[in-house]
Amino acid sequence: MGDAFIYITSRQVRWVIMLSFVLALIVDALNLLGESYLFLPPITLLVLLYWCGHFLDQTYVSTAFVIGLLMDTLFNSTLGIHALIFVLLTFAMLRHRLHFRGYSVLQQSLNMIGFLLLYQILRLIVLAPPMNEAQQIAFWSMPLVGGVLWIFLAKGLNRLSHQKAIES
Amino acid sequence: MSNFRSALLTLLDPIERLAQAPKQLYLNFSTDFTSFDELKLENDRLKTEMLLLKAKQQQLIMMEQEVGRLRALLGTTGQVNNASFQIASVHFFSSSPLSQFITINKGRLDGVEIGQPIIDAKGIIGQVVHSTPSTARVLLITDPSHQIPVRIQRTGQRGILSGRGFDGVQLNFIPKSSEVRVGDLLESSGLDGKFPSGYPVAVVSQVVSQDSTPYLEIYANPLGELNQAQQVLILKMNPDRSALEPTSETLETPGTATTAPEDTQTQQRVEAKPKAATSATP
Repeated sequence: MGDAFIYITSRQVRWVIMLSFVLALIVDALNLLGESYLFLPPITLLVLLYWCGHFLDQTYVSTAFVIGLLMDTLFNSTLGIHALIFVLLTFAMLRHRLHFRGYSVLQQSLNMIGFLLLYQILRLIVLAPPMNEAQQIAFWSMPLVGGVLWIFLAKGLNRLSHQKAIES
Repeated sequence: MSNFRSALLTLLDPIERLAQAPKQLYLNFSTDFTSFDELKLENDRLKTEMLLLKAKQQQLIMMEQEVGRLRALLGTTGQVNNASFQIASVHFFSSSPLSQFITINKGRLDGVEIGQPIIDAKGIIGQVVHSTPSTARVLLITDPSHQIPVRIQRTGQRGILSGRGFDGVQLNFIPKSSEVRVGDLLESSGLDGKFPSGYPVAVVSQVVSQDSTPYLEIYANPLGELNQAQQVLILKMNPDRSALEPTSETLETPGTATTAPEDTQTQQRVEAKPKAATSATP
């Protein structure tokens, strides 16, 4: 799976990347509407880690910072909290993305559970959201849901980026 | 930093609107299919309600003037209760434990400023924390980072009401010697200078006394419909207006408030509760 990506650069799928971030932000905003579901992962983070893990020509650290700032604004949290968490996770992905992009989607999904668990721990330490028992269960089940969603997201984005690269 | 966040909010505004679009579409769709009879019934009900409210308001104005006269007799300054309202619609809201806020469709271009209190028909619901040219974000009183000085209406005991994260609030700094009952009404004390005094905020739902702390643990439920409100009022205090106005004008303006804003989307400044009698002579 990973071999095919060697010949694709971020420039070739620039619009797909931008559109995927916009769509991910809309989905996150939808989840925030009303009684938000804490077991749903931040799609923006999944998309960010996907592009960061699959393209070697960019680091995506600055993108992580900007997207994090937008998430801070969306969640109404202190400006910079999500930005720093996103940068930290992007850096962790950068450290082993050469391995990561060679994994099968299922292996990537297991890795993603680890990333999301780290994300939840950092969020719990920094934001300390007050939660009742049901919300705590939902909060800690998010990495598992994120792992499952990753399978569909990665396959979808793989197909889309290949198609766009061939067209360009 | 505030301007930077405002810029980010402006950037996110179309995304919030897009996220809200399916719900709005459903609402428009369901409204289109509301039968004529239902609308007629609702119209009749609203007319009756309006009449009742007008009658109550007239009583209130009389009582307000009486209080003013009594205060003047006592020689106290009294509470200048001159506020103007601006109607706004809620177009985005979050009740996640991480943050509880609503986004309203009035912004800096409509004169909305950071710190302005937001109320609905039942009580205070929050305050403006960020604004963009066309929208403003309101932090709800249930958000863990929100605090508001209140007093217990029955006893006058003051305390700080903090958000608890999930549709609840907690009253802090009430000593064990105080008399607090379940069902007591908590109203804003106005000591912060931001929220006007005397607006209802919450009702006490549970009082717990623990030996380890010198204060009571008091839980309360907000009175305002934080998650259901579609229309809210942005309150603006007018400190420069302190003179007593004629009674005829006092009676006319509330009529404007209830009848004029047929289209709530337009910026309609509605004068209400004009003047307490701080300078009135008995």
